[in-house]
Amino acid sequence: MGPAITPGAPAVELHGVSVRFMSERREVAALEDISFSLSPGSFLTLLGPSGCGKSTLLRVVADIVAPTSGSLRVLGQAPGEARRRREIGFVFQDATLLPWRSALDNVRLPLQVGGSPARGGRSPEELLALVGLAGWEKALPHELSGGMRQRVSIARALLGDPKILLMDEPFGALDEITRDRLNDELLHIWRQTGTTILFVTHSIHEAAYLGQQVLMLAARPGRVREMIPVDLPEPRQLAIRDTAGFGALAGRLRAVLETC
Amino acid sequence: MASDVGMVHTAAASPARAAAADPARAAWLAAQRWARWKRRLLPLLGAASLLFAWWALVAFFQVKPFIAPAPQVVAATLWQKSDILLANLWPTAIEALSGFLIGNLVAVAVATLFVHRKGIEMAFFPIVVLINSIPVVAKAPILVLLLGNGMAPKIAIAAVICFFPTLVNMVRGLEAVSPQSLELMHVLSARTWEVFIRLRLPTSIPYLFSALKIAASTAVVGAIVGEWIGSQEGIGALIIQATYNFDSALLYATVICGSAFSVAFFLAIRMLERICVRWAPQSQS
Ligand SMILES: Nc1ncnc2c1ncn2[C@@H]1O[C@H](COP(=O)(O)OP(=O)(O)OP(=O)(O)O)[C@@H](O)[C@H]1O
Ligand SMILES: [Mg+2]
Repeated sequence: MGPAITPGAPAVELHGVSVRFMSERREVAALEDISFSLSPGSFLTLLGPSGCGKSTLLRVVADIVAPTSGSLRVLGQAPGEARRRREIGFVFQDATLLPWRSALDNVRLPLQVGGSPARGGRSPEELLALVGLAGWEKALPHELSGGMRQRVSIARALLGDPKILLMDEPFGALDEITRDRLNDELLHIWRQTGTTILFVTHSIHEAAYLGQQVLMLAARPGRVREMIPVDLPEPRQLAIRDTAGFGALAGRLRAVLETC
Repeated sequence: MASDVGMVHTAAASPARAAAADPARAAWLAAQRWARWKRRLLPLLGAASLLFAWWALVAFFQVKPFIAPAPQVVAATLWQKSDILLANLWPTAIEALSGFLIGNLVAVAVATLFVHRKGIEMAFFPIVVLINSIPVVAKAPILVLLLGNGMAPKIAIAAVICFFPTLVNMVRGLEAVSPQSLELMHVLSARTWEVFIRLRLPTSIPYLFSALKIAASTAVVGAIVGEWIGSQEGIGALIIQATYNFDSALLYATVICGSAFSVAFFLAIRMLERICVRWAPQSQS
């Protein structure tokens, strides 16, 4: 896009990133010495026990939290720079919609703040249709179901074609069926847009089904336990979860997770 | 057989008629209607019975008119002296409304300053909360002494009285944004003023309205109490005059007149709230 992006640079690159949170009673090592690198267009899922720093890791990449030590590059730039260029879309655990805005106006929010650098990509209307919410443009958040709200927030994160999509347990609060459908929609969007996705989940099956690689984090202090490649046939389909290969991978993920 | 099909068809096509035919639903609808009537009638009935009790007590004990008037006398006074009452309501209304406007505007401005300059908030907010906890009737005389006579001081009193509750609520409202929506704004690189306009201000609107509803009645109280001391006109002045003249009927009529204005003011604010805060699914009334 701009001169600051090094062509061929990894989408996300962390070198010995540590984050410590100070408080009066204790000091929490949320992340310790995290290093990995992701090539553009890849899909990484993050798994790990509660409190191991998955959210913190996403927030470091999104420039919400600054690392205590270590360094990182996002698309070859400082994370703050990538954020200002709107290269990063963030989907929070709860949809975080503005309740006074309609679905469409929530998707439009990124156009109305932050100097809204003119970007190409799909229009807010197209994005709502992409996440299956055509016809719901005028609905207020409280008139939508949890899954629909989350889809609005995904549409909002996709506005302006960000090169990096950070998703923090976006489907955690949904029922299995809705979750399966949204997983497929997400894979569909990923294949269409070619963004790099970092996806936090607590579900072993979701991690295996979505990711090209699974980054397993261990807790206290949060550190990389293992980067596990997923070699399942592409494009993924839900039926894949009944195969022996998927079962073996899920079993392995579970075994590693239990040692974290 | 043909008629059978026809019947099924009608029932499916007009659910309303199907509902009417359903005795359980009809009974439920009747119960709903009755409940609606009860909600409207019972308060009226309650008020009527109290009026009757008032009338009966005054008549039975032969209460002297200068101690308490009979309700029909008050009603007659409201009618006969409506020109005096209205002439005195005007200044009070103007004072209350102007004080309301000024006090709330300044409160919103100061709340904005507080939220953006934490140091100033830390220095002054505790004092504001403290002053806010002093009852209006205790604050007003102090302000009367400070500000003296004329219309402007009464506006000032009403304004000062509105100022504190609104400031306290507005600061809470502007700070009631979820950390996650602030993070969202940060990811979008929103500037401070954009966060204020797009996030903090809309979040604070329900808080603002609950303060405005309080302020609507306290502004009137402020204006009235302001008129108690050395004032020639206004509801407050009329209350004092009527009291000193033992004209209890006029006193009651004046109080009713002032309350009616205060209630109308409150209802107007509540209507505005209903229009402005459509997005909150359950806003407590
Ligand atoms: N703002 C903060 N201030 C202080 N400590 C924090 C803060 N944010 C996170 N922590 C601490 O850092 C650690 C990691 O938190 P984080 O939210 O990243 O975990 P997580 O892996 O996302 O957990 P979960 O799966 O439950 O969401 C926790 O011990 C938490 O208490
Ligand atoms: Mg988390």
